[in-house]
Amino acid sequence: MNCQEFWDSMPEPGAGSGLEHLQQCAECAHRMSGRRRLLAELATLREEWRRVEAPERVEESVVAAFRSQAAFGRVRALRHSWMPLFAWASAAAFLVALALMLVKPHQPPAANHATRPGGVELAAIQPANSALDTGAEEDDASADGFIPLPNAQRIEPSESVNVVRVEVPRSAMLAVGLPVSADRVSELVEADVMLGSDGLARAVRFVE
Amino acid sequence: MSQRPEDTDQELLARLRNGDEQAFVALYRRRQGAIYRFALHMSGSASLAEDIAQEVFLTLLRNEWGFDPERGTLSGYLFGIARKLVLRHLERSRPDVALETESDEGGMPELAVNQDPLAEITQRETLDALRRAVVTLPRRYREVVLLCDLEEVDYADAAVALGCPIGTVRSRLHRARALLLDKLNQERHPRHGVQRLKPVRCEL
Repeated sequence: MNCQEFWDSMPEPGAGSGLEHLQQCAECAHRMSGRRRLLAELATLREEWRRVEAPERVEESVVAAFRSQAAFGRVRALRHSWMPLFAWASAAAFLVALALMLVKPHQPPAANHATRPGGVELAAIQPANSALDTGAEEDDASADGFIPLPNAQRIEPSESVNVVRVEVPRSAMLAVGLPVSADRVSELVEADVMLGSDGLARAVRFVE
Repeated sequence: MSQRPEDTDQELLARLRNGDEQAFVALYRRRQGAIYRFALHMSGSASLAEDIAQEVFLTLLRNEWGFDPERGTLSGYLFGIARKLVLRHLERSRPDVALETESDEGGMPELAVNQDPLAEITQRETLDALRRAVVTLPRRYREVVLLCDLEEVDYADAAVALGCPIGTVRSRLHRARALLLDKLNQERHPRHGVQRLKPVRCEL
């Protein structure tokens, strides 16, 4: 290895590479000792410079920025965490209301009229396909109060069902032929919706 | 949550992304000095270095330049941001020239005080000369000396910060040290520099 090859290899002053050449070449050994001295002086300078740091106000400024961003992030996260829940609840309520509006209404029982003599009652909506209204369906208003939805499949005896409680506008009762007082039509009313094993609504029962 | 000494930069970064202020403060205190010094010695201005140190950490908060741990450490990433900000400022203010003097805003460090006055004077002169030599290096050599020799950043991180291959970092550092030695030799032995000049023919 000649001098050019030695320096072209970019030897590290602290490493042991190229020792053979340094032992043979006094000039390169002298240059290398100068580099080692330089590194030692740089190390001393490094220790001095390490005392230099950014002023306190920089930390105050960036921490304030962090707090501001964190606060904004919390608001954003809170909003984001509620939005899916709200959307799903709205969608569920809408679907239930839609299902109730599509079912064939039942004629309100005479007994119900008797229990509310003072109220002004709205007429039940008579759908165009009222021909589907059969006496059998009237009988299907079972003892537990569930009214089968006429367009839905019947629940098989062995089928497992789920019942979910939702809130729907009281006006939805009109769709199943139940009387609704005009001054309470905008109120919400709780209803139990029976879901079949396929997740589709099969019957409904108003809690009141 | 208390700050554990063994927390890595990555762990602190993950915690600060979850809103942990203590993690952010710990990370800031760990890295601010090196970033500030780098900006200070690259720009020569304490006020600019202050602005750059602040902007580096705000950029980290905003995650604007997308830190990718696969490409390097957080340290190299932060130095890279600082370097870009310094260069942006230098390009706006003036062309790439070596710094002749430090800022008059007191940004440069004081040198060590020794018990031996003679040794103190000698060391002060030596380090003063070295400091002048460093800050008057051309930019491409100054930045690599600041990172590798004065902040002890390894070659891989320096390569990330400088946006160049590791081999380039090594060659620049090699060249920078040679330039530093030349500058120091010229300052310590001014006549040697004159004697080494080769005569040239004047063509008037």
